[in-house]
Order: sequence, then structure tokens, then C-alpha cells
Amino acid sequence: MTTIEPMSLGDIAQANDLIEPAKREIVFDVQDLAVAYAGNVAIREVSLGVYKNSVTAFIGPSGCGKSTFIRCFNRMNDLVPTAKVTGDVLYHGKDLYAADVDAVEVRRRIGMVFQKPNPFPKSIYDNIAFGPRVLGLKGDLDERVEQALKQGALWDEVKDRLKESALGLSGGQQQRLCIARCLAVEPDVILMDEPASALDPISTTRIEDLMHELKRQYTIVIVTHNMQQAARVADMTAFFSVDVAPDGGKRTGILVEYDKTAKIFTKPADKRTEDYVTGRFG
Amino acid sequence: MSEARQVGRISFQEELDGLEAALRMEGELVLRSLRGAVECVCSQDLELADEVIAFDDDIDAQYQEVGQGIELLLARQTPVASDLRLVLALLHDNLHLERMGDLCVTIAKLTKLTKGLQPDDMLLEGFKEMGERAEQMIRVAMRSLKERDRIAAESLLELDELIDRANRRVVNRLLEIGHDLEMREWGLRMILVSRCLERIGDHAVDVGEQTAYLVTGEFREFTDASHPEHSENIE
Repeated sequence: MTTIEPMSLGDIAQANDLIEPAKREIVFDVQDLAVAYAGNVAIREVSLGVYKNSVTAFIGPSGCGKSTFIRCFNRMNDLVPTAKVTGDVLYHGKDLYAADVDAVEVRRRIGMVFQKPNPFPKSIYDNIAFGPRVLGLKGDLDERVEQALKQGALWDEVKDRLKESALGLSGGQQQRLCIARCLAVEPDVILMDEPASALDPISTTRIEDLMHELKRQYTIVIVTHNMQQAARVADMTAFFSVDVAPDGGKRTGILVEYDKTAKIFTKPADKRTEDYVTGRFG
Repeated sequence: MSEARQVGRISFQEELDGLEAALRMEGELVLRSLRGAVECVCSQDLELADEVIAFDDDIDAQYQEVGQGIELLLARQTPVASDLRLVLALLHDNLHLERMGDLCVTIAKLTKLTKGLQPDDMLLEGFKEMGERAEQMIRVAMRSLKERDRIAAESLLELDELIDRANRRVVNRLLEIGHDLEMREWGLRMILVSRCLERIGDHAVDVGEQTAYLVTGEFREFTDASHPEHSENIE
């Protein structure tokens, strides 16, 4: 009898890396998207595809609409009364903004981690258990909490103090807790809006390593101000910029270039991308 | 540099410009060494040969300075896109220039080894021509880098063909005079001199290839020595 050795995580990662990101399955297909707040267009004419099991980074100067854009992926803009989203966001081919789509279910499938770690003022355990409890997910809760904390690379640090307040954790630990909290409800996609910008370099490295691990199982979209972070973690990178109306008035975010990260950081096609990544804002 | 270049990262741009200027200085030193090497072999000037050998320390010092500057810049500034390509091109060009300097030293040493041997005037004329062509190639290579001129960089291939032809003429002449025993030892040394000059031309072509890479983002060898049928050699 022959036994088949399970593929090591390293092998899987390598196998994943061999596939051109652009040839992977498309998770989000965005077509001609625009978002306006109270009639002011924050971002317009954005079309791009986000690929499965990859990290996609959005970079660009302040006001380019990258945070607005990432919020379209789990309908966070629904929570802003004046926001109006036009264009299409297809999630696995299904219109994310269709009338019959439940926004709460969307946010379970598509989790989000924010710039500032925002643990609930509860115990570490309850932070993770909160989502599964609310959603009534089946299975052993302890096991689910342990699994999520392990995936969030936090288990070893907190396993002996699960009942202690999450607010006692360091900033970096809190952010990993938020990622673990996200994972506990079995999402498909994790959106990260500058997840490491409030963290020290060591914690940042841990979050970046974690992204590398997690993309084997999830699809990750990240907004970052740190270009080197995009260069380190992302498979695909989109550069957004601010388009200023000829009269110098209205400023709107636009997608300038979207390509493999290696291309964006070695040979960008657009002069504006070149000026941004090299630090010369044109 | 374009206007946009001056908007951000001023000290970084100054460092990059400084590195490029240091490489140009290295190019000037190599040109001086080359002129000295050709002059010493053509006039059998052993004193000048010693000077050329000693002068290589200056080139090596410049090579070290450029190399350390690149190391520091990579560590501190994390260049990307065209900045990264420039730094990588400078890294390669630095080595090519240093090698050219070494080849000039070899010519000077070969000259010393032929002390007292009778030279062949026709061959010396050939070396003069090769030396001038090599000098021109270094100038074109350095100027095309400075001006980011891909067309000029690619013209090095044609110039290299000319120096290659001169090299073949030298070899043919050596075969003609090879029957003369007195000439033979001198000739054996001189075939290496010819080879050194020809190699200096090759390094200039390599510098041109780096310029084309810097401009286009694609590295492409102007000639493919192992697959000549695919090359754009003019012959």
C-alpha cells in the first residue's frame, strides 16, 4: 500500500506562487465603479479583478480613494447615509449590491481589519467567540477559538490567559486578535485597511508574515501607505491617484495602474506610478 | 532630470546623481589608463608602463567608492522602478570599468615583458587604431548612459565590430611575421595586447546594454555569443 504524504504548507505556497496571479480564479470583478459622498465623487471609473489566494494591495496618496474603494468590497459604504455606489462589484460572479444580497452575510464572508486594532472590551476568548455565537455557527466553540487564534499566530502568546481582557494585549497582539476574530467566522476574503500602520516594525513583520500564511487559504486585499509593505506582501498592486479638475477644483480618486507587484516596482507602465513609487510625486 | 524628479526625495536624488558622477569619474580614469597603455606599448616606454600599472590603484579606489555608495544607497533608500534600474546599471558598469582598467594593466605588463624585442611597425599602427576605437567606445558608452540614449548605446555594437575587425587584422599580420623567430616571442605577447583591447570594447558594449536596460526595463544582450544566429551582429 502506498501512502500519500500530505503536501507541506511550503509546497502549497510554492505551488501557489507558480501560478500567475492574473490566471487565478477571480473573486471580485469590479467594473466601472464610482463612489460619491453627498454628490462629491470620491473615486470613479475603477475596473479591476481581485484574484483568489493572493494578496492584492491598493497604494496611492491620501485622498486617492483607496480606502473608499476597499470598503466597497464588503458594503461598508452602506453604513454612510450619503454614500452612493455605482458600477458593478461582482463577487464570485454575483452582484454584491443586488437587492436580495444580505449585507450582514456579505460582511461575514468578507471580513475587515482596520488601521487601529479595535478589540471588544471583553476577554480574549469572547472576542473570538463573539462572531460564531452571534451567527450560531455549529461545532465546538473552544476548538474554533483555538483554531482562529492559531491561524492568527496569537495562540502561543495568549493560550494561558484567554479569560483576560483583550485590552491588556499589546497593539500588535490586538491587531492579530482582530484578524483571528475575522477568521473565526470562516470568511472567504479578508480586507485590511492599513493593518500595520499603527504598529511597530516587529509587529508589522508579524502581520506581513501572517498575510503570507493566510493567502494560502483566503483572499486578501490590503490598503497600505507603506509602499515597501505592498512590495513585500502583495502579488498584485493597484496604484490610485488623485485627478484634479482642470479648474483646480474637484479632486477625484482614479485607478492609474494595476499589475503584478513585481512589474509595478521594477517597470511601471505609467509615469504617474513611477513618480509615486520612486517618491517623486508628480 | 525632469521637473517631477525634483519634487520629492531631494537627498536621495543627490546621492543618485553623486553616484553617477563618481562612475563618470571612473570612466575618465579608465580613459587615461587606456591612453597610457596604448602609448607605452606603441613607444616601448617601460617607465610609462609602470605608471599605468600604478595608476590602477586610482581606478580601484574609485571602483570601491562607487561600490560602497551603491551598497549604502540600497540599504538606506530602497530604490524601486527606474531608480532601481539605475542603481543596478551602475553596479554592473562599475565592474565593467574596473575590468577595463585591469586590461590596461595587462597591456602595460605585456609591454614590460617585451623589453628589448624588436616590434613590428605595422602591428603598432594596428594597436593605435584599436586603442582609438576602444577610447571612442568608452566615450560613447559613458555619454549614452549620461543622456539615457538607447540608440547611442546600441551603436556600440557597430563600433565593436570595427575593433573586432582590427583585432583580426592584427592576428593575420602576426601569422605573417610568425616565421621570424625573433619576432615570435614579441608576437605572442602582442596577440594578448590585441585581445585586451578587443575585450575593452566588449566591456563598453556591456555598459551600453545596461543603458538600454535602464531605459527600456528589459535586459537584452546586444549580441548573443553562444547563439550567434539570433544576434543582431551586422555581419
